[in-house]
Amino acid sequence: MTAAPSTSRRHWRSVVLSVLAAAVVFVLAWKAVVIVGGYPVFILPAPEVVAGRFVTAWADGTMAPHAFATLSEIVVGFVVGATLAVVVGYLLARSPLAERLLSPYLVAAQATPILAIAPLLVLWLGTGLLPKVVICALIVFFPVAVSTMVGIRSIDRRLLELGRSLRATRWQVFRHLELPAAMPQILGGMRVGVTLAVIGAIVGEWAGADRGLGVLVNLARGSLFDFPLMFATLLTIALIAIVLYLLVVLVERALVGSWR
Amino acid sequence: MDEARSTEDRSLAAINVEKVTRSFTVDGRSVLVLDQVTFDVPSHGISAVLGPNGSGKSTLLRLISGLLEPDSGRITIDDQPVADADQRVGLVFQEPRLLPWRTAIDNVAFPLQLAGVGESERHERARALLDLVGVGAFSAAYPHQLSGGMRQRVAIARALARDPQILLLDEPFSALDALTRERFNGELLELWQRTGTAIVLVTHSISEAIYIADEVVVLSKGPGRVVARVPVPLGRPRNPDVRESEAFSRAAATIRAFLSGTPAELAEEEAAGAPIRDVLERAGAPAFFDPFRGAP
Amino acid sequence: MRSIYRLLGSVLVFVLIGCSPAAVPTATPLTKLTVGLGYQASVQFAQFYRAQQQGYYRDAGLDVTFQNDITSNLVTLVGQGAVDIGIADGTDVIPAVGQNIPIRYAATIYAQFPNVVIVPANSPIKSVADLKGRTLGIPGAYGSSWVMVQALLASAGLTVADITERDYPDYGQAIGLQQGQVDSATAYRNNEPIQLGLQGFATNQFTVDDITPLPGPGLIVGTATLAAKHDALQAFVAATLRAMDEIRANPQVGLDDSIAQVPLLGQDKATQLAILQATIEMWAGPYTQAHGTGSIDQAAWQKSLDFMRGLPNSNIPSTLTVDQLMTQELLQ
Repeated sequence: MTAAPSTSRRHWRSVVLSVLAAAVVFVLAWKAVVIVGGYPVFILPAPEVVAGRFVTAWADGTMAPHAFATLSEIVVGFVVGATLAVVVGYLLARSPLAERLLSPYLVAAQATPILAIAPLLVLWLGTGLLPKVVICALIVFFPVAVSTMVGIRSIDRRLLELGRSLRATRWQVFRHLELPAAMPQILGGMRVGVTLAVIGAIVGEWAGADRGLGVLVNLARGSLFDFPLMFATLLTIALIAIVLYLLVVLVERALVGSWR
Repeated sequence: MDEARSTEDRSLAAINVEKVTRSFTVDGRSVLVLDQVTFDVPSHGISAVLGPNGSGKSTLLRLISGLLEPDSGRITIDDQPVADADQRVGLVFQEPRLLPWRTAIDNVAFPLQLAGVGESERHERARALLDLVGVGAFSAAYPHQLSGGMRQRVAIARALARDPQILLLDEPFSALDALTRERFNGELLELWQRTGTAIVLVTHSISEAIYIADEVVVLSKGPGRVVARVPVPLGRPRNPDVRESEAFSRAAATIRAFLSGTPAELAEEEAAGAPIRDVLERAGAPAFFDPFRGAP
Repeated sequence: MRSIYRLLGSVLVFVLIGCSPAAVPTATPLTKLTVGLGYQASVQFAQFYRAQQQGYYRDAGLDVTFQNDITSNLVTLVGQGAVDIGIADGTDVIPAVGQNIPIRYAATIYAQFPNVVIVPANSPIKSVADLKGRTLGIPGAYGSSWVMVQALLASAGLTVADITERDYPDYGQAIGLQQGQVDSATAYRNNEPIQLGLQGFATNQFTVDDITPLPGPGLIVGTATLAAKHDALQAFVAATLRAMDEIRANPQVGLDDSIAQVPLLGQDKATQLAILQATIEMWAGPYTQAHGTGSIDQAAWQKSLDFMRGLPNSNIPSTLTVDQLMTQELLQ
């Protein structure tokens, strides 16, 4: 049957070790650049300076409220965008008419840079949570919709014939055949979507917000002139993106890992 | 009076295929696939449908199961016309067609789940069926962890989930090696003895058809017509040795003759015990003169 | 054959003679200076345009190029030395030096603080205290406007908690005031009130100079550049202050030179002149009138430093002193 558990544990350990090794190399290279380039702290702070500031910013409560605000925008925006995208993706997969009608708009929406749309949305929707959620949802939409469409279309026709021979209803076909068959592709699209959602949240905040990690980056850079804090905030943003990505990978492993 | 008699005659028949014709549109042209196919399968009987590629065997199975409708003619099961995706029929396809994301037991339970049966009840039934086909120990395995033969067994168990009156199998063992195939033939017969469903097996193996069936329906190359319905003169239960018997090889020769187009009378003569003639001989051509049997 | 070589040879000789140092007339090379002005070209920088157009910089041995950027970026560019001298908000210099960015405030350009709070002329808000419970439009809770608002409110015993802030990230808060979306708005004295006034919407202003003498925008230099190009920078400052005095005496020349430097500004001369005149008004204050154009009021800076240090969320270290913020070296 499946490989013995000790192999996967060994595999897991080697993955963690290689990630740590890569991180160490990165930090050392960064430090080397700072030393060799002689960069002052307000151009490129050294890794230990940023690390120190990262710790103090979390400890004294500077980072936490902004991180929470950005995380909420990402999560809500992602959920809204991904759900809509799966529905629309399904529609596009099953209806050639829908695909012909909707595709040009979808491509146009995707091609328009989010940086250009964001200030408009803030103008119309204000500077609260809503425009950020909309921006995140928009940015997540395309990759998840396309991957859903591809995934639904990729289902083996013979399984659909099986469904028909068992008198499965439309909903049953979707729930028990199409959706599970498309799951690997949908989750692949979600991996991309979740990292894009982080970008969307930051861009939305830059267009207008009173809290969030994007706001903190600007505050640190342009008001406080605290560049270690700016880098520490960037580090927080990167960590959030990594964690969310890993979460999707874990979900993928749980839903899809057993049968591949 | 007449009605009563005809009903009596037909009540023994599980499947009745009457003058079924079906064509498909391919590249704008209409292609006739089945032409006036007629045969019946008695209840609890086993029939094999044998024919070359393109004879419409798979189409015939889909017509019997109700996935397709005939252009003309009719098909009834126990005198009731076949419904769309008739649930009295259990279908086993050429490939196992298991859902890769479900374990074996969940695959077998799938038809029951679609019908709204509760979880513990359907799991109990699925487990019993897996035991019946001999893969009970692997009920928690995923299809990718099973061999081709095991997957096909799971597919058969699934086809039996809703307790069908008829089991249709479309070349179910063609992907297996010859030895495994012979073994599966035997197991299918055992299964049949235990469940009592009528079976229609589509195959292009003559020996498989003869070994399993009561009657072999021979179809011609497309458009498929019934060339012959060859009864199998072997007793039951059948053990593997029967493949070596003379009756077996005579039946095989008859069928082979039909497949290659020898006229009906000649083939029947051979089946009745006449010396084996070269099947390429045709009526009217100079033939072996047997002084004890008369002129050809 | 030989004649070609002779021809080539004489050509080569002429080229060599032509290129020799002795042949080129020597002149003292001009010192290049990159000067950072605000976000975009504006008549508010008339003094720089005049000094450039009238050749004051060239006469002082300077080759000046202008670069536009927002004030907070100029702080880092000047600190790095990528820009030699630039205009920045005084209220940015304090936290920047507090974070060890090596810059100094070298000359006052705006002796009066340009950020103000405006209300409609017919508004019931007659004093700062009346702002309590009202809405205020502001680009965001950052920058010189934010410091000004807090200083203003503090003078009436209020804090930002006593008002409702409404953000206009697109800087449309004055339009919001005009449309009645907010009761009050932040503005630059020489910009929004002028534009609104020209459209027939009169406003009143609350200024902060008499409350907390916050330092207005001025010239900043990097400490390294200060050491390396001291004389050139000194000459630059002198030429610029001279141009300021001339424009104050005759605003029209300021407008003309601005249009000569930046033709785009010639599109609406009436508005530009009004903006220039409002700008000129802010160039002079009690201190500069007493001590000369460009002089830096150290006592006022001390009060501002203490005030900003006391603000909530302030990151200004207690060790920061006023003389770390400024230098008088470039003023004569």
